[in-house]
Amino acid sequence: MQALEKARKLGPEGIIALLEKKGLQGRGGAAFPTAKKWRTCRDTPADERFVVCNADEGEPGTFKDKFIILHNARTMVEGILIAALAVGAKHCFIYLRGEYGYLKDKLEKQVAEVVSRSKTGVSVEVVLGAGAYICGEETALVNSIMGLRGTANFKPPIPAVCGLWGKPTVINNAETLTCAAQAILFDNWNPDLRLFSLSGNIANPGVYEFPLGVKLSTLIDLARPQRKLKAMSFGCFGGIMPVDEQMRVTPETINMEKCHHGAYSIILIDDSNNVVDIAYSIAKFYCYESCGKCTPCREGTIRILNLLKKIRAGDATKADLTTIGELAAHVQDTSLCGLGQTCGNHILTSLQHFPQDYEYFLNKKTKGK
Amino acid sequence: MLHEAQEKAGYLSEGSMRAVSESEKIPISRVYGVASFYTMFHTAPQGKYVIEFCGSPSCVLNNGVKLEKFLEQELGIDVGQTTKDGLFSFYKTSCIGCCDEAPAMLLNGTPCTKLTVESLSELIGKLRKDNGKKKVAAVTAKAKIKAKKATPKKAKTR
Repeated sequence: MQALEKARKLGPEGIIALLEKKGLQGRGGAAFPTAKKWRTCRDTPADERFVVCNADEGEPGTFKDKFIILHNARTMVEGILIAALAVGAKHCFIYLRGEYGYLKDKLEKQVAEVVSRSKTGVSVEVVLGAGAYICGEETALVNSIMGLRGTANFKPPIPAVCGLWGKPTVINNAETLTCAAQAILFDNWNPDLRLFSLSGNIANPGVYEFPLGVKLSTLIDLARPQRKLKAMSFGCFGGIMPVDEQMRVTPETINMEKCHHGAYSIILIDDSNNVVDIAYSIAKFYCYESCGKCTPCREGTIRILNLLKKIRAGDATKADLTTIGELAAHVQDTSLCGLGQTCGNHILTSLQHFPQDYEYFLNKKTKGK
Repeated sequence: MLHEAQEKAGYLSEGSMRAVSESEKIPISRVYGVASFYTMFHTAPQGKYVIEFCGSPSCVLNNGVKLEKFLEQELGIDVGQTTKDGLFSFYKTSCIGCCDEAPAMLLNGTPCTKLTVESLSELIGKLRKDNGKKKVAAVTAKAKIKAKKATPKKAKTR
């Protein structure tokens, strides 16, 4: 409760100013400055405001929020209460993904305990999703909490201005809110610390906390791969890039390879795999999870999957590789929300970095004949 | 509300959706729209054991595809079907956040992790014997999730 006590003394403006100074960024993937979001919500005239903790980590390879809920839920709830204090919200929600339903009872108990101890009079409700990746997207999440289909909306308006029931709503990732509490409490809080979720062909997967700029080799040593690592995928949406052990992990170095760090979930892939197979499983995922609202994403993801099927069957030609690249780029350019705008990343980056893996399937056909 | 309704009957029947529509004063078409949108709502009767097998890259990299085929054979059904005896329903799901313990699946919402052909066939055998009498948690006690500790610890790096 120390962070909340300190936040009370600072007052709403003080909290936002402090987070701005400390440079807290959103941890859901977009790295949006948290203070800016809170200020937008606070400055929007309204009779009611809401705070939502986004614990719908649907991104494959990501399990840091589960880790927080299992081990540090009280700090997370404290962060929610601090956010409520800063923006002037009376009702808060934790949107827990349906797949984590088994965590709900314990979480609710911890929430009730922290809320009653805080004596803030703020209510925090745990809302259970029902298995839709898209609901991690802000506008879809808002729809889902209101009991609608979880489809994305056009932005603007952004939820911080017009969210739940048309009221200004702050939506932050579970890790962001946990960090907010820590940033308020600790003078020497390091804004560069990130939770890395490591998984894939490794013996020691898990959540690791390191500052940005950590050498990739440090992470790999902890992960203990059994074979030589070939590629790494940043969740599904971040793209697939080659493993360079000397690389320092920062948003800039990752962007240089046309990939996106997202929530720093790294799926490590060893040399026994063909990257096209991974791209295929990612494409299946997008095809399934597209909410179906906008045409480029709804149709594009199906076409991408079909082309990958063709490639893997050995029936594709070089022209098909060009098509799939163009298609992926078009879908990204013309889709409505974050899902569609990133759903071609794995194709574009794997085509760029691992053309030989695609060639393998093209050659398979010629050899077969 | 739909979660509660589904828990009672195991799926959302037309009757239960109508009840929600009437109590909430919203059209039944909207209730059905929501129910059919989300993966975890079912509008047809389900088996006593609903298996949702993870199809995300981390599980695929850890033998997931082989285990999925094994399950299909063992249960004698394809993905998306329910066994004739009404005991098992088998689905593929997107990532369930157990990538650190891949391959994994949800059995009636409870995660079963680090699966192998042996552990799966043992589990299926036990479930068949039990025939839905005991709670899933009792059967899967062995396969309960174990959360990993993060290293280095938070306090150190702060």
